[in-house]
Amino acid sequence: MVSEQQPSAIEGAKVLMVGAGGIGCELLKTLALSGFRDIHIIDMDTIEVSNLNRQFLFRQSHVGQSKAKVARDAVLKFRPDISITSYHANVKDPDFNVDFFKQFNVVMNGLDNLDARRHVNRLCLAAVVPLIESGTTGFLGQVTVHIKGKTECYECQNKPAPKTYPVCTITSTPSKFVHCVVWAKDLLFAKLFGPKNQENDLNVRSSDSSSSSEQVEDVFEHKNGEEIEQYARKIFDHVFGYNIELALSNEDTWKSRGRPRPIYCKDVMPTEHVHQNGNQGRGSAAGDMASVSAMTTLGLKNPQDLWSLKENAAVFLEALKLFLSKREKEIGNLSFDKDDQLAVELVTAAANIRATSFGIPLHSLFETKGIAGNIVHAVATTNAVIAGLIVIEAIKVLENDVKNYRMTFCLEHSSNKMLLMPVEPFEANKSCYVCSETPLTLEINTHRSKLRDLVDKIVKAKLGMSSPLIMQESTLLYEVGDDLDEGEVANYAANLEKVLSELPSPVRGGTILTVEDLQQELKCSINIKHREEFDEEKEPDGMVLSGWTQAQAAEKNSKVSADNGASTSGASQAASTVPEDEDDDDDLQIILPPVPGKKRKLSDVTATSGVPSAAKEPKIKRKAEEINGDKDIVMLDDGNIVKKGEA
Amino acid sequence: MSGGITRGRLTEERKAWRKNHPHGFVARPETSSDGTVNLMVWHCLIPGKSNTDWEGGYYPLTMHFSEDYPSKPPKCKFPPNFFHPNIYPSGTVCLSILSEDSGWRPAITVKQVLVGIQDLLDQPNPSDPAQTDGYQLFMQQPEEYKRRVRQQAKQYPSPV
Repeated sequence: MVSEQQPSAIEGAKVLMVGAGGIGCELLKTLALSGFRDIHIIDMDTIEVSNLNRQFLFRQSHVGQSKAKVARDAVLKFRPDISITSYHANVKDPDFNVDFFKQFNVVMNGLDNLDARRHVNRLCLAAVVPLIESGTTGFLGQVTVHIKGKTECYECQNKPAPKTYPVCTITSTPSKFVHCVVWAKDLLFAKLFGPKNQENDLNVRSSDSSSSSEQVEDVFEHKNGEEIEQYARKIFDHVFGYNIELALSNEDTWKSRGRPRPIYCKDVMPTEHVHQNGNQGRGSAAGDMASVSAMTTLGLKNPQDLWSLKENAAVFLEALKLFLSKREKEIGNLSFDKDDQLAVELVTAAANIRATSFGIPLHSLFETKGIAGNIVHAVATTNAVIAGLIVIEAIKVLENDVKNYRMTFCLEHSSNKMLLMPVEPFEANKSCYVCSETPLTLEINTHRSKLRDLVDKIVKAKLGMSSPLIMQESTLLYEVGDDLDEGEVANYAANLEKVLSELPSPVRGGTILTVEDLQQELKCSINIKHREEFDEEKEPDGMVLSGWTQAQAAEKNSKVSADNGASTSGASQAASTVPEDEDDDDDLQIILPPVPGKKRKLSDVTATSGVPSAAKEPKIKRKAEEINGDKDIVMLDDGNIVKKGEA
Repeated sequence: MSGGITRGRLTEERKAWRKNHPHGFVARPETSSDGTVNLMVWHCLIPGKSNTDWEGGYYPLTMHFSEDYPSKPPKCKFPPNFFHPNIYPSGTVCLSILSEDSGWRPAITVKQVLVGIQDLLDQPNPSDPAQTDGYQLFMQQPEEYKRRVRQQAKQYPSPV
């Protein structure tokens, strides 16, 4: 294929690659070997040890250095005569503006998050530069071509929302191990160590328990002077025993299901054995948080082993005690983190004990970590195949071979004996809010909803803007950014807390708002329609946006969000916004639970988005069915837990 | 109701300014006491150029955009009785690029207007006087003119 090309179109091309990770390394190599001579590459990341198995341009000695720069240097070694320009920066930096994008003949994405993808899509649209978009998830992958005026843009299609689970499945009737993991991570862990005041269904009594003696006290409160051991056992009995008993008392629930078995501490661990190993002598060196581990104290070595109920109970109690004794200061501020060994231990043990209650097969710590952290293992070959396909499409784009543009999907199971499935690009969606100019309509209670609700739930979560400007006519209602002065910041902060109809220039039914983004060159109009009532179950946001392609994403159930167990509107609405798309790696393609602003490197925050792995473009499925009715392509169901995107 | 073009252009100007603007300058939409931020009126500060008699002053200027902007130029006003040969007693700036009939073109940006006015401060145009005081001193008593300019600079100190 490549050899047939006239070299001129390639040689004269100036191309931009965004991302120098799993796909990026392959792509840069393939571009260089295909005759491209002027390549620019942006990546904000530095090399980590876990990248080395497949990001083959990197070696151990490069760990900690810029991916873009090391990739450039590595390729220049075998192609010293070409020009590669590297940028160790976030593609969302203002420097990479429309004018920057305009200088390229084609832009190729090898990104790992939705947020950056949307950003690049918008800039390519504004600069009218062809975009070749890609992603992989394990064996799956796809390459798509987006050219303004010719094909759909990246945001024309719904990005399926991540899987969410109905609250009751998580809290009362789990049937799969993943339900137990979500419960352990988002309800139990959050209740034990997260912010104090959050709503949490863990404490909820069953409906007919009012007859028994009402406990007003909070079981989860660790009282002064209460022995840690005693507290841990109390929690154990409450969540694995008492709560199950309560659930059992609701007979209707169990008519068509297996009845769960309450598990009490004394039955599993008759005496306080746990002490026998003690955590004094061995185990963690004091002060070293990272090494605090219940497995270490208990002498459990292999993370791939299945633990017995007794071992799970021991790990649970031990992990809980270690949190209380060694990491006391963090309590109240913790959120689950897949890299936090002790947290993974506690969640694994809790999920397994709960699974035992419900007769669900147990899983090892290693497996549980994968499920809890939404980890999909990256496959180097897929990245290589996808990179090759990107170059093929890039060459077609440079030669303006419009008829032969293809979106190509890389499948896990062959369809008609083929693993690659090419599809002609779709036309632009006329009602796409990004590449068309159709106004959106927002139904909202203008007397009750605050500007903040609109900004958080619509402008940020749904429209994916990061630095919005909101205007009504010629009045600015909201802006955000470091460049604003104190007076402006204070004024907009005050506006945020105002109800729409009480803003300095009131927003009422019939008002047309204009929303723009400072960096993204994206603009849209929103027609406001006042509506008094909203269905709390079906419309938890208290507002409904229509004319927007991502409609009815995961609206089916009231859902528990994986975020922190607060199954209240805030979290669940955010969960409903995040879309699919396979992503390119980073470490293991981890779908980060994006705790906004917390924990991750600051520089990462803007670029990390919860990108759920499973959901697949619906059209692939459709197409595959057309071919041979094979439905095998439906993806990983389990590992895919709701994520909160920071869209 | 301001037209879509006017509003769209002002938003672009606002965004462009926020992303990048000349050092020392301020330009932002007016915020009234009730918190309304009005894109049609901008409050600006123009720093006097260094190494001139205007240095050290930060001169407040208000830009009023009409519904016909950018077909028509914004009206730019200093405080009343601002001392300068080309500023009317009302404070209105007399400058070719701000005149619909001569130099104004819709492509001229807010930044260009403000920089243009900054240039005008130290380089008055004697062929187009707008106030007698400033004009006569400039023409006849350069020393006194300079003194008045320096005095005025002190009247508008740095905002920070």
